[in-house]
Amino acid sequence: MTDDLLKAATRALHEETADDGDDGRFTRARVMASLHQGTVKRRTRLAFILPLAACLAAGTAWGAATGRLPAMFHAIGQVVGYRSPPNPPKRRAEVTLSATPAAVAQQPTPSDVLPPAPSTAVEPAPARAEPRAPAKAAPAPSSSASFQDTDGDLYRLAHEAHFVSHDYARALAGWDAYLKAAPGGRLATEARYNRAICLLRLGRDDEARRALQPFASGMIGYRQTEARELLEELSH
Amino acid sequence: MSIGGLVFSPTAPLEDVSADEQDLVARLVAADPSAVGEVYDQHHRAVRAFASRLVGDAAAAEDLVHEVFVALPRAMRGYRFESSLRTFLISIAVNHARHHVRSATRRRAAIGRLALEPEGNSADPEQIQRRKELTSLLTRALDTLPLEQRVTFVLCEVEERTSREVAEITGVPEGTVRTRLHHAKKKLRQELSQEGIG
Repeated sequence: MTDDLLKAATRALHEETADDGDDGRFTRARVMASLHQGTVKRRTRLAFILPLAACLAAGTAWGAATGRLPAMFHAIGQVVGYRSPPNPPKRRAEVTLSATPAAVAQQPTPSDVLPPAPSTAVEPAPARAEPRAPAKAAPAPSSSASFQDTDGDLYRLAHEAHFVSHDYARALAGWDAYLKAAPGGRLATEARYNRAICLLRLGRDDEARRALQPFASGMIGYRQTEARELLEELSH
Repeated sequence: MSIGGLVFSPTAPLEDVSADEQDLVARLVAADPSAVGEVYDQHHRAVRAFASRLVGDAAAAEDLVHEVFVALPRAMRGYRFESSLRTFLISIAVNHARHHVRSATRRRAAIGRLALEPEGNSADPEQIQRRKELTSLLTRALDTLPLEQRVTFVLCEVEERTSREVAEITGVPEGTVRTRLHHAKKKLRQELSQEGIG
């Protein structure tokens, strides 16, 4: 019975939707209009994109020939709101840290991986009772070590000065250099926290307090408890 | 070309491709509107009939026909004279059908819920009325099928195409076509019996 019904319904659907004599003029007109619109769109796109591409190619060639390409990219980045480092790459390439010859010798090769995960990369909070190094400003770069202008290298050098050499003045300069190069970088939060610890180590309490405040307030969502404890220690 | 899991891959080469046909295809690839118009005039009825059967809604079917012919120039880049132009157009319709079937199904369900389905014209003879009822019944049952089974049922049973042709259109082996058809029929019988009519 159901089989018969299925067959009858199938036949009915076939007949019901058979050629209804509609010449499809309306849909034909719609198709033609859509095709025309597509052609116009394509032409408009070409009319805009080709000159734009030509300008871009010519500009890039000119920039490459005159050595102004990095400065151009920097300027374009600023125009479009890209948060790039404040200095053009050329200057970044010359970022130096004061480093001992030993530290220079220990500089990681470009193939090195980044330092361990932030949880292990961050120094434990220094005990307040621990004798501190005399308060002094980070020394100006003397024996400078130029290195590749990658954020990873900057981070690695700062990390090494902080956690391997325990040279907090150099580490502070390193964290500053990294944060200057990559203020919104992947490891910027850790770098800021480590910078605050360096300030603390160097006895620059006021600056350390200011640097720790955003962490303690929970604004950053990173090491809040430790930052609070350190601020309490500082207030005693 | 593949949309919604349905792939067009013609398998039966056609011999004797006329120069006129080659010229028409070349013009279609170049998106020549007069060529599209020519193909439309020749094949729109077949495409519309298939679309109406598949979608079950005149307005949605018309939208699908529109989409098929707008997509034709781009789709023609993959045309290798291995199937007839009409079969190729149906395969484009299959590949573009998913969205239209879904929206038509939703619309029918909403109309059904609101009991707004238009009454049949009492002036029509009884047979016409019965045919309309059966069509509506089958369309609602088709709404419960997955798209692949629905396409297969419409092509095989309603359009009475061979399984080879359906395999060509949907890009699956003939065995798969038969399996889909079997499952489709089984499900449709269940649906019809649940309606209490079978």
